[in-house]
Amino acid sequence: MSLLQVRSVTKRFGGLTAVDDVSFDVFEGAIKAVIGPNGAGKTTLFNILTAFDRPDEGSVMFDAADIVGWPPQRIVRAGIARTFQNTQLFEEMSALENVMTGAHAVTRAGFLSAALRLPWTVREERDVAEEAGRLLRLVGLGQWADAYAADLPHGLRRLLEIARALATKPRLLLLDEPAAGLNTAETAALADALYRIRDRGVTILIVEHDMGLVMEVSDEIVVLDRGAKIAEGPPRLIQKDPAVIAAYLGEEDADEL
Amino acid sequence: MRERRIDIRTVVGLALVAALVFAVPVLTSDRYLLKVLTFVGVNVIIVTGMALLFGYAGQVSLGHAAFYGIGAYTSAYVVSSLGWPWLTGVVLAVVLTCAGGLLLALPSLRLKGHYLAMATLGFGEIMRVVFVEARGVTGGPDGFSGIPFASVGGLTIDSAGGNYWLIWGVAAVVLAFAANLVRSRAGRAMRALHGSESGALACGIDLTGLKVRVFVISAALAGLAGALYAHVVGFISPSTFSLHVSVLLVAMAVLGGTRSLAGPVLATVLLTMIPFADAVIPGLSRSALEMIQEWQEDVYGLTIIAVLLFVPGGLAGALRRVSGWGRRAE
Repeated sequence: MSLLQVRSVTKRFGGLTAVDDVSFDVFEGAIKAVIGPNGAGKTTLFNILTAFDRPDEGSVMFDAADIVGWPPQRIVRAGIARTFQNTQLFEEMSALENVMTGAHAVTRAGFLSAALRLPWTVREERDVAEEAGRLLRLVGLGQWADAYAADLPHGLRRLLEIARALATKPRLLLLDEPAAGLNTAETAALADALYRIRDRGVTILIVEHDMGLVMEVSDEIVVLDRGAKIAEGPPRLIQKDPAVIAAYLGEEDADEL
Repeated sequence: MRERRIDIRTVVGLALVAALVFAVPVLTSDRYLLKVLTFVGVNVIIVTGMALLFGYAGQVSLGHAAFYGIGAYTSAYVVSSLGWPWLTGVVLAVVLTCAGGLLLALPSLRLKGHYLAMATLGFGEIMRVVFVEARGVTGGPDGFSGIPFASVGGLTIDSAGGNYWLIWGVAAVVLAFAANLVRSRAGRAMRALHGSESGALACGIDLTGLKVRVFVISAALAGLAGALYAHVVGFISPSTFSLHVSVLLVAMAVLGGTRSLAGPVLATVLLTMIPFADAVIPGLSRSALEMIQEWQEDVYGLTIIAVLLFVPGGLAGALRRVSGWGRRAE
């Protein structure tokens, strides 16, 4: 079943067409990758899917609802979560609190009930903290719960952002270059985490430059070049696709394909 | 989970401070000192709201004296001119300042940038003129006098000690609610907003809604403090609610520091006492006190500049660093 349908999405910034008439589907339970040379429009596409940006044309259907024009918080509630290319953690909060904040959309305590410390809000807090602890362990950060986000090493920060995104209880998880800056061991740990997340029933759409990771984990790949989709298919076919190879020629990633 | 558990030493410390604060009227019969400390309590109520707004949600208001004034004049008018019960006056003051805060926050917080600071600055000036010109309600530049003491049922709170307990009782409840709030989902959302707006959006936090709520709460607390103040002093005039009071409130929040309630409360005690230094420093000469009072605005201004330059995080940040050293030493 198609969980996400992107149809003819176009986004222009002045004279530049950052995303040019892009259409593709993400099927439930899949890990799908979006790749392409720098400036291909991958992050802009992510921003459109999460309402950080609005498309000029086209539609985005998530679970049969057109989500274009929804505010970000509604999209999160609908079940789309994301991470950022430049991690957007809450530096002065602990890892556990970062993940607990991710549960904002799926919890209820308001200003008044929290100020009065009503019993149900105390229970909700405890449940949120327990779930946040579970998610930290899922991404391998169990022993870092009390550390400030600012004190975490780079590789762990990306995992923390994934745990925070999972706390929103997403059906679709968008990961923007999760392996950037990770060493080989950390990338392998990330791949394991992605499988565990997928096995929990979360569909994953990933933007990534690390071709080894992309080829290993993804079921399907969409290739963008200068905003337009130039190929789509399973990793083996993408690796041999002449248009893809041409797009990457002269790019340092070309030999990695 | 460790830091979420409330430290037993913190609980004992808070209980001791609370006991000391509430014992003051028993320990001293100095009416002047009690009055000054009552003003400190009034400011603590307002600054609690400012701490949520500035220290947690990262928004600046330059017009909170206006809400303070709206609360004071509302309750004074309702109780003194209309003859309604004191509690009605206080409740109406809070309702009116909530509404005012909402009207001001909704348009200015939808926009990115410093629109709230500008809007509150303008609002403060508008209200200052209203306080002077709406003579029928406010008494104009001569002020509003003869405001009766607080009374509930047949009980009138007319002693200096009684008013002290009233104000600090309300301040304690306000602080307890605020302390619960900052440790909750809403408090996390506020700190998240301060930390990374993109991250907060990705967590499904409605940024505008959150900012508006915090602003309305801070306005309501200023209104509550104003209503209580009016009945404690019995006389209010426009100068009590002018821009320099708004700046003083910002100075307290800035000196107090971010992500803290204790820091701003401490800053409030210090800065409120400056013009009344003779209440705690025995033998302070008349001329020395006058000099302090003449220069007090400069003290507030310099405080803001000094904190921003030299003490990032304010008193709260300094306290955290000290306790951080303590922890490392253990």
